Amino acid sequence: MSDPETETRMLRVYRFKRGDGGEHFDEFEVPTGPRTTVLDALRWIQLNRDPSLAVRHSCLHASCGTCGVQVDGHEELACVCAMRDQGQEVTVEPLANLPILTDLVVDMDEFFARFPDEHPIIRRSEGEYVRLEDCIECGLCLSACPVAATSRHYVGPAALVAAQRLLEEPRGADCEAVVDWADRPEAAWGCHVGLECTRACPADAIPAERIMALRHRLTLDGKDGGS
Amino acid sequence: MSGSPAAELPGTADRAAPGPVHHKGPGPAPSGWLDPRGRGLGGRTFALHRITGIALLVYLYVHLGVLSMLLIGRSAWGDFLSVVTAKGFLAFDVVLMFGLLFHAFNGIRVALVGSGVAVSHQRALFWAATVIGAPLLVYAALHVFGGT
Amino acid sequence: MLGHPSNRTARVWRWTVGSGVALLVLATVHMIAQHFVVGGTGGLRTYQQVLDYLANPVIFVLECGFLFAVTIHGLLGLRGILLDLSPGPRLRQWIDPGLWVLGTLTISYGLVLLITLAIRA
Repeated sequence: MSDPETETRMLRVYRFKRGDGGEHFDEFEVPTGPRTTVLDALRWIQLNRDPSLAVRHSCLHASCGTCGVQVDGHEELACVCAMRDQGQEVTVEPLANLPILTDLVVDMDEFFARFPDEHPIIRRSEGEYVRLEDCIECGLCLSACPVAATSRHYVGPAALVAAQRLLEEPRGADCEAVVDWADRPEAAWGCHVGLECTRACPADAIPAERIMALRHRLTLDGKDGGS
Repeated sequence: MSGSPAAELPGTADRAAPGPVHHKGPGPAPSGWLDPRGRGLGGRTFALHRITGIALLVYLYVHLGVLSMLLIGRSAWGDFLSVVTAKGFLAFDVVLMFGLLFHAFNGIRVALVGSGVAVSHQRALFWAATVIGAPLLVYAALHVFGGT
Repeated sequence: MLGHPSNRTARVWRWTVGSGVALLVLATVHMIAQHFVVGGTGGLRTYQQVLDYLANPVIFVLECGFLFAVTIHGLLGLRGILLDLSPGPRLRQWIDPGLWVLGTLTISYGLVLLITLAIRA
């Protein structure tokens, strides 16, 4: 007997395989219940319809930041995005503004490459605690950012927030170098106050507010830079 | 095993090529900021701020060009006035007033938020600007059309 | 990654905001004085009314200030948009000089216009 709370929804899933022709969307009818997430639906497709569908995930509870996708144009962590909150037809695409490796998997190297080279702010979390609190490095902010959609040189919200975090608590870091890095058109001044990053952030890291705090510091610093 | 067997497999070069970059927006990458889909208040006001800014800059140069008729003399300026006071042109004036008011009021909001002041009040600032700007636009429209 | 030149671009933001604040005052004066206190002709001044208006030295100074502020603000905004288009290094090095030339020409033309009309008044 079928569960009365189960209903079928259509998933339009972005597909791209290197060397196998161009990009396209595949449609799948997926049974969903009240607690089904977008990630559950994608894994159901993998298990029951198309094992070649690639989607990256790990923790299943919004703490690893690996399953970021666009659901009907909104940046979401697939593992905590409820299918019942979506329409009958749901379009799932990879994150924007990052190169696609395959299907829904983007190359996060380009995300981390935007951080200042001399300050590995969020990648060295073991041993030397300089990690940005709250940020789960999911890349949703970069995908949502209208400036990153235009400018490939813009470093994006996460890197700027990490810089601000470092300035708030330097722990011996070279603040002047961070200020120099941030005080560029491609960094703090590339932000045009669209505030989409805070809206997209699933971890409440409030990136826009941190970027504005960074700009406040740069605005008041003057030509000497201060620190 | 000698060499790199993987390099000899068919399709290896295709698989090594970087994948496409997905962008929001109706066209190529530079149009991403224009796309209102999936955007919130901040993203949409940013797009409109930029559109009105570009339009006002274009208008500035048209305006300066048109003012050269003042240099030509009284009759040239009189002829120009008779054209631009037609109803169609006056409607354009109202659109221009909207652009000016939106860019000015949203500019105050962007300046305050973008300088790290009143960041948490960005939404309230938008609605305050709307409450003040909308009656001003209505007044300007009535004045422009009422003055004919 | 891009290089990290120590160009203090905060000053561009300060100039943009500063010229914007100046414009709030100067554009309001310009709009009210030029278009909202004049009866008839859709709020536009006749040739003689324009000359009479610019004959006032305070108004002349305010209009000159408006010309400077609007040119600076507009071209700094254009600079931001151009930089967002990710120009290559060769193209990018022409943006600032190009905008300086355009701004200088714009202000020069505007000043010639204002001074000529003020002399005729």
